Amino acid sequence: MNLWVYSLLLLITVVGIIMTPLLIAGFVITYSWNVARAVRHVIWLYGRLWLVIITPFVDFNRDGVADADIPHNCVFVINHLSFFDTYFMGSLPSSDITFAVRSWPFKMFWYLLFMRLAGYLEVEDLSWQQTLDRGIKILHAGGAVLFFPEGHRSRTGQLQRFYSGAFKMAVASGRPIVPLCIVGTDRLLPPGRKQLKPATVRLRVLPSVDSTAYGEDGGHLRLRKEIKAQMTQELELMRQLNTDKTGGDGAHE
Amino acid sequence: MTEQEIITKVNNALVEEFELDPADMQPELSIYQDLGLDSLDTVDMVIVLEGTFNFKIREEAEIKKIRTLGDIHTFVQRKLSTEA
Repeated sequence: MNLWVYSLLLLITVVGIIMTPLLIAGFVITYSWNVARAVRHVIWLYGRLWLVIITPFVDFNRDGVADADIPHNCVFVINHLSFFDTYFMGSLPSSDITFAVRSWPFKMFWYLLFMRLAGYLEVEDLSWQQTLDRGIKILHAGGAVLFFPEGHRSRTGQLQRFYSGAFKMAVASGRPIVPLCIVGTDRLLPPGRKQLKPATVRLRVLPSVDSTAYGEDGGHLRLRKEIKAQMTQELELMRQLNTDKTGGDGAHE
Repeated sequence: MTEQEIITKVNNALVEEFELDPADMQPELSIYQDLGLDSLDTVDMVIVLEGTFNFKIREEAEIKKIRTLGDIHTFVQRKLSTEA
């Protein structure tokens, strides 16, 4: 499995780097997109290729991922279990997603240029006001912004403390917030391990929440608590499904 | 409200809001390095303290000087005593 996945991942990465300028030019000309939008589409296609590569080893279940279920310009929040969580975002219907991430993903030099061109938000480098302004601009232009509100990968499988940025951006922009729940990627590749293992991965898109109902002073804190409670409950059910299916092997290691 | 009651109320509010470990609520600890708060949390902390003690502090320059949990205790005690 590891030889297959890592070899093909290396291959599509190298070929992708070579092909990207052509693809970007093609999307810019065909769809009149700007470069950042075109790069985000290329990254999304890369995620879709990843889903094909892992097909023999990962039973991937999606729920609520239909295009009609998800507002295009929304703030996504997702729990974080594995380096590969972001790759599964290739299964979302829209490719116009800007990731708001900490500084460490920008240290992967082979992805750095694409992340910069895609306009990803480096939340540890930008001030909050810069992050908010850029995020709102993206949302008003019809794109989505995705946050990992825990800030880093969970090593226990349980949700950690949520930071407030995503919720503040949703309230400030008036755009809906869409919680995403993912389980099983910590079986595939948890933090601290390099060897992949076959896994059942489930991604569930929860109903969007109207952030305009949280406009009071400190309303983003209430929104954060309610979304976290909803995600905690859903993740428990999803983990139970995985445990039932794998006889306990799908649980966090 | 006694000094200890203020400390307890501050600690409880921060533990609840930021999901901190009550055992970590030592006055000498840095709210950034030791408790893991960031600059955005500081803004939320102000909202939480305002809600807990029913005062307005967001315009106060002293907020920016807060580094430790003990600084918060001292700040709140001073604010409450000036308002009394």
